[in-house]
Amino acid sequence: MKLRRVFIVSSMVLLPFVLALVAVLGVLFARQGGFEPYRVPHGGSRVVASDAATLARGEYLARIGDCQACHTTRGGMPFAGGRAFATGFGTLYSPNITPDAQHGIGDWSADEFAHVMRHGVARRGVLYPVFPYAHFSRVSDADLDAIYAWLRTQPASANEPPPNRLEAPADSRRMLVFWRMWYERPNADAPIAPADRGRYLVDGLGHCAMCHSTRGERGSLPPEGHLAGGVIPGLGWYAPPLDRLQLERYSDQELADYLRYGSAVHGSAYGPMAEVAYASLRALTAEDALAIARHLKQVEPSPLRPPPVAAHGDAVGGKGADLYADACADCHGKDGEGKPGAYPPLRDAVAMTAPDPINAVRMVLYGGMAITSTGNPRPHSMPPFAQKLEPADIAEVLNYARRRFGGRDSRLTAEEVRSMYGLVVD
Amino acid sequence: MRRPWPTALFLYALAGFGSAALADDTIANHLAACAACHGEHGEGVNGAEYYPHLAGKPAGYLFEQLRGFRDGRRVNAPMTWLVQFADDAWLREIADYYAALPPRTQRADTGAAQLTPERARRAEQLVREGDAVLHVPACSACHGTNLAGLEPGIPATIGLPADYIVAQFGHWKTGSRRALAPDCMHDVAMALTPEDIRAVATWLSQQSNPDGMRPAPVGSFAPPVSCGALAAEGAR
Repeated sequence: MKLRRVFIVSSMVLLPFVLALVAVLGVLFARQGGFEPYRVPHGGSRVVASDAATLARGEYLARIGDCQACHTTRGGMPFAGGRAFATGFGTLYSPNITPDAQHGIGDWSADEFAHVMRHGVARRGVLYPVFPYAHFSRVSDADLDAIYAWLRTQPASANEPPPNRLEAPADSRRMLVFWRMWYERPNADAPIAPADRGRYLVDGLGHCAMCHSTRGERGSLPPEGHLAGGVIPGLGWYAPPLDRLQLERYSDQELADYLRYGSAVHGSAYGPMAEVAYASLRALTAEDALAIARHLKQVEPSPLRPPPVAAHGDAVGGKGADLYADACADCHGKDGEGKPGAYPPLRDAVAMTAPDPINAVRMVLYGGMAITSTGNPRPHSMPPFAQKLEPADIAEVLNYARRRFGGRDSRLTAEEVRSMYGLVVD
Repeated sequence: MRRPWPTALFLYALAGFGSAALADDTIANHLAACAACHGEHGEGVNGAEYYPHLAGKPAGYLFEQLRGFRDGRRVNAPMTWLVQFADDAWLREIADYYAALPPRTQRADTGAAQLTPERARRAEQLVREGDAVLHVPACSACHGTNLAGLEPGIPATIGLPADYIVAQFGHWKTGSRRALAPDCMHDVAMALTPEDIRAVATWLSQQSNPDGMRPAPVGSFAPPVSCGALAAEGAR
């Protein structure tokens, strides 16, 4: 009797809260796309064109989407998967997307392929957002079909990538539904008109924002951080903002050249961007490169973008200046002006102006060689200094250079330099 | 002695003038990253006694190693870092450049402990005669009686730092250094004990090449085992 009364009273008190919770969850669920993403179409009889022109277009689009870079290991069979992605939640391995029916995507229909590209949900469940489906959802139907048709012409592989190694709760694909409810907003991701070519390539297949954005909680990509720059998760490199302020020093053509050749008047692509340039952007047609450049150069700065540096610092003397004269000035010039066609200028270089010094430290530690391309078939290289300079010296010389050429009040310490040791190539 | 390298250098210089505005655009200017560890002229760097010299090694061998670092058949993060976005044409040019330079003449001045007379005898036995019981051919059977290598794919073994040689045997054993098949150095590495490897490595590191002997020309002798290195793409 008493028990029943307690139950009724507590129900009446709790009911509004439960209803409110259900309502909130319902709204969030609706906003991540409702049930639609989870209705993965199996089979289907829609036949996509596979004439030579379509296949050539599919190959080009797959190249610009850089599918191969993520879905292939070093020296491994193209698209057979298995490349490791270190994240804050553990390590993920890319799947096999060759036409093997059992291990790859050979028995996927065109509709299933398009659905996975659009919604990030496949037969195996919800996909982790390292797969840039939020960007691929903006690609046109015709282009997705062309990519599908071309992928089916590639050699099949029975490779089975290792299982993901993730911490709870990220190891559960079901939990990804909650991630989607908080962070996935597909309404903003409608296809972009292909005629808006630059934006179509940047925000669609090119998925530039995966590296060049400021990330929010749990690896999300909030709209206010779009192309605002940030340290790339798992890779330890800083990707600069891509907007009109950042790219002011490039002309449209210079930026297009940088994309197609990996090098231009203001320097060469290095770090993860070198891979993107080598594996993908080298294939850009001159028109597409120019369209991307024009689009990027008029992107309005995002709210989360770090404020640009106004003035260059004064040239301060001391040990940093001596080290610079000794180790750097031969190639980069005593005033950071570089040598056209050989050594990039440091004045206004991203490594100098970036709020995070990590690119500068890594370049000094491990050097680099610009990618080979038709515009730069015999690239120059920068020597590694890891075995030549002590961490304290690297901090000194970079504080000097970043103040002088980047206008950054750089206060890098030897300890911080030490924490950036370690080269990850695979 | 045939000395093709001044001609080669001249040709490279010429190519450089043609392709860039810089008056001093020799290939060496492009390879500052390599020089940091392997020496200005690929001769190795005193005090950096892990890194091998490159100068005068067969072009086919060097090309295959560069491709190996790029494509994952060899594992060394700093090397892969530098060559991973280079196409075959550029890697071949780099290989040809170092192959044409005069070979290192000095022994590797490592701090490796001296061998006892007994260990030195064992090392020399493996180098000159091999070990029939272990089915290990003599080093000299493939690398040449003067150990200066054989075109197009077998490198000199003299003047290499002992630590480098030991490390390569470790890589061959664990599969993190793979040659084009058949990978005979893998078989050799699996057959040898750590003591034998250390003895041979130390002995080799103490040999010099005062006359600057170059690798023997293609086909000048026939190694006893078939080996992927003999078919290196550098054969021209």
